[in-house]
Amino acid sequence: MSTYKLIISTPDGSVFDDKAEILIVRGTEGELAVMAGHIPFITAVKPGECKIVLPDDGEKTATIGGGILTVQNDKTTLLCSDFKWN
Amino acid sequence: MSGNTKTLKLRIKSVDSTLHLTKAMGLVASSKMRKANLAMAAGRQYEKAVQNVVDLLTAVPECQSSPFMREHKDGGKTRLIVIAGDRGLAGGYNANIFRTVCDFNEAEIIPIGKRACERYGQPIVSSEKFYAADAFRLAKELCQQFANGEFDRLGIVTTNYISMMTQTPDIKWVLPLTKSESTQNTAAIFEPDERTILDIAVPEYLSGMIVACVRESFASEVAARRMAMDSAGKNAQQMIDELQLEYNRARQGAITQEITEIVAGAGN
Repeated sequence: MSTYKLIISTPDGSVFDDKAEILIVRGTEGELAVMAGHIPFITAVKPGECKIVLPDDGEKTATIGGGILTVQNDKTTLLCSDFKWN
Repeated sequence: MSGNTKTLKLRIKSVDSTLHLTKAMGLVASSKMRKANLAMAAGRQYEKAVQNVVDLLTAVPECQSSPFMREHKDGGKTRLIVIAGDRGLAGGYNANIFRTVCDFNEAEIIPIGKRACERYGQPIVSSEKFYAADAFRLAKELCQQFANGEFDRLGIVTTNYISMMTQTPDIKWVLPLTKSESTQNTAAIFEPDERTILDIAVPEYLSGMIVACVRESFASEVAARRMAMDSAGKNAQQMIDELQLEYNRARQGAITQEITEIVAGAGN
């Protein structure tokens, strides 16, 4: 499956800056998943679990304290003030 | 004569203890430097990322009517977040900040850093141990008050870290938001809508700015202290050398005089 560049940035630096296949977060209108080729998109993210599917089929989950998700053509950025890997 | 050598000796001793102090403080500052630089880099990165999002949002026409984008008129209330150090002995670091603040007599001040808190008579907030959560709390409160119209302009008085040798005081105006000229209107989808996202993004943006500024200031403080301690140490060493020379001369003079006296006495 194709991948895209995902950056997760927190005030303590970026905690993830790599290729990812899928990112699943809780948006304001419900859960959403971002895959490669998503249209440009900006949404607020609610506190909750965040799941990243990596190119090697590995999975990473984290708890986030809300933030903003920006999908741009060249990269996807998740900004959150609170972030912790599970 | 012996009185003179004694005072010289005392002075050398006191300058020597100053030298020890400056050396120790310089070493502490250098050991903190690395960590401060890393934290500063992380803070800057986050600030850049949030700035990027805010730039995208301010370029959207729907956001122009947001209270965060109302234009600043002269004579409005100004609020300043003043970031200074926790300790002195850092050259002109704290003084430069306070001098910058002096231009805004009317401004309400939110100090961060023990020196600033003492100066403006407010509860003490450490700048070394200022965490992202503290910044977020402060940012949320300020955004609420700004939206309610309690003040019209918010600036952060901080120090720009240019290099190990140079740091300059600066004011960054953060609220109201200004529309960035460079960003084109992107055809992005906003969910649920532009205004709601802006309302959520502004506290994030503000806290990102505060954190980045506090960390940059701390790195500047440590660098300034290192430089100040370095030159103070050099001065102390120079002073010791001069006093030592004077002391040796006085001691030699006393010995010569004694010999002269003995020789003169023996000659009789």
